[in-house]
Amino acid sequence: MSEVIVITSGKGGVGKTTTTANVGTGLAQLNKKVVLIDTDIGLRNLDVVMGLENRIVYNLVDVIEGNCRIKQALIKDKKYPNLALLPSAQTRDKTSVTPEQMKKLTDELREEFDYILLDCPAGIEQGFQNAIAGADRALVVTTPEVSAIRDADRIIGLLEANEIKQTQLIVNRLRMDMVKRGDMMTVEDVCEILAINLIGVVPDDEQIVISTNQGEPLVGSDALAGKAYANICRRIIGEEVPFLDLEKKANVFAKLASLFK
Amino acid sequence: MSQPVIIKSNKYGINLILDPDVPFQELLRCIADKFLESEKFFKNARMAISFEGRQLSEAEECQILDSIAQKTSIHIACIIDNDEVREQYTKQKLDECLSAESGNVGRFYKGTLRSGQVLECETSIIIIGDVNPGAKILSTGNIVILGALKGTAYAGASGNEACFVAALDMNPVQIKIGNIIGRSEDKGILASIRERKKVAAEPQVATISDGHILIEPITKNTFNNI
Repeated sequence: MSEVIVITSGKGGVGKTTTTANVGTGLAQLNKKVVLIDTDIGLRNLDVVMGLENRIVYNLVDVIEGNCRIKQALIKDKKYPNLALLPSAQTRDKTSVTPEQMKKLTDELREEFDYILLDCPAGIEQGFQNAIAGADRALVVTTPEVSAIRDADRIIGLLEANEIKQTQLIVNRLRMDMVKRGDMMTVEDVCEILAINLIGVVPDDEQIVISTNQGEPLVGSDALAGKAYANICRRIIGEEVPFLDLEKKANVFAKLASLFK
Repeated sequence: MSQPVIIKSNKYGINLILDPDVPFQELLRCIADKFLESEKFFKNARMAISFEGRQLSEAEECQILDSIAQKTSIHIACIIDNDEVREQYTKQKLDECLSAESGNVGRFYKGTLRSGQVLECETSIIIIGDVNPGAKILSTGNIVILGALKGTAYAGASGNEACFVAALDMNPVQIKIGNIIGRSEDKGILASIRERKKVAAEPQVATISDGHILIEPITKNTFNNI
């Protein structure tokens, strides 16, 4: 049974693309056949984060318009042959594709892949409507900030209205040091406001910036954020995985920091 | 009154202000003259007419209308009652009717209202769920929220200030009852979360008291006042 999952947030810059890249790669590491679709037409960047930009020949709009077959547009990942990317078009805009066409595309991809991940653009306009059209499940990414949470709430409402049954929350870029000082909302605060199931908490980690710039997803590495993404992937395939103890790690850092004070 | 007849326009049409002391036949002539003067301006217009300043019998009203019809090309569509006593009585009855209707009849809504969602209701409404920030609930009657009110609630939307808003966890961005608006304190989200954690949420009700929105815990006395 294949599953179409949309990664969305409403607000921009909270980590949708990074999450898509890492979750996709993580699922591939679990030996699933995975395809990532960048639905952010005109602002494509999933290919950059995946380090596959130089391999693009055809794109999503080419497939939709019938300029090429799906197979021709799919880019195989550098490391994992069971992971593919369908890049977005950079020279077009969101109106080049309709929700019906997206649904048809994802349904076709179901035949070959276990997981189809859709990287949703920011906003609630046509790009969003396109991205959620064929989705069974949604991962809503937010940071523990009021603006991101408010947008996430709006998005969850729209997902419910579009009858997407399973919606789960990823709290991204959590800073335990700030939470401990009382300067940042806790994961519990966020969950209480949004009232949906939590599937993962990703700590703020500079390794993410490094990996993004290198074009190699962090998932599976020893970095805390890498572990967090690996856990999210295992929860997606149905395993029960306890949440990381982020506090412990923060304590280690705090101790280290205090040594140098 | 210097002029026995004054024509004023309003949003429906025209309002005739009549001298109460001039004999009717003279008044009728004055009206006809007045309309002839301004005929070009009103030419072929369809409008409503209302009378002010003088009690007219039905027969007198008809004579005025006939004279306008004969001498000008204005079409009078209807007569609007301008009787203040009657208008107030009608308004009062209508309000009573509306508030009784919206206050006593209620509907249920199950689910959480999220940012951007608006629920409008012509009766009172009971929400089983939360109203999140950015969401809005609007009722012509009362609003009861079996959950947290964190967004905007507007009770008595047709102007009934006797309506109330009750919630198990009262933390609204804005409450409006009738035509009176109350808003939340200006404080950051972290501060309000911390504050809420300190004290357990208690059911509260918002009503109008002395022209302001008053929020207080629900007690037996509260219900006596509603």
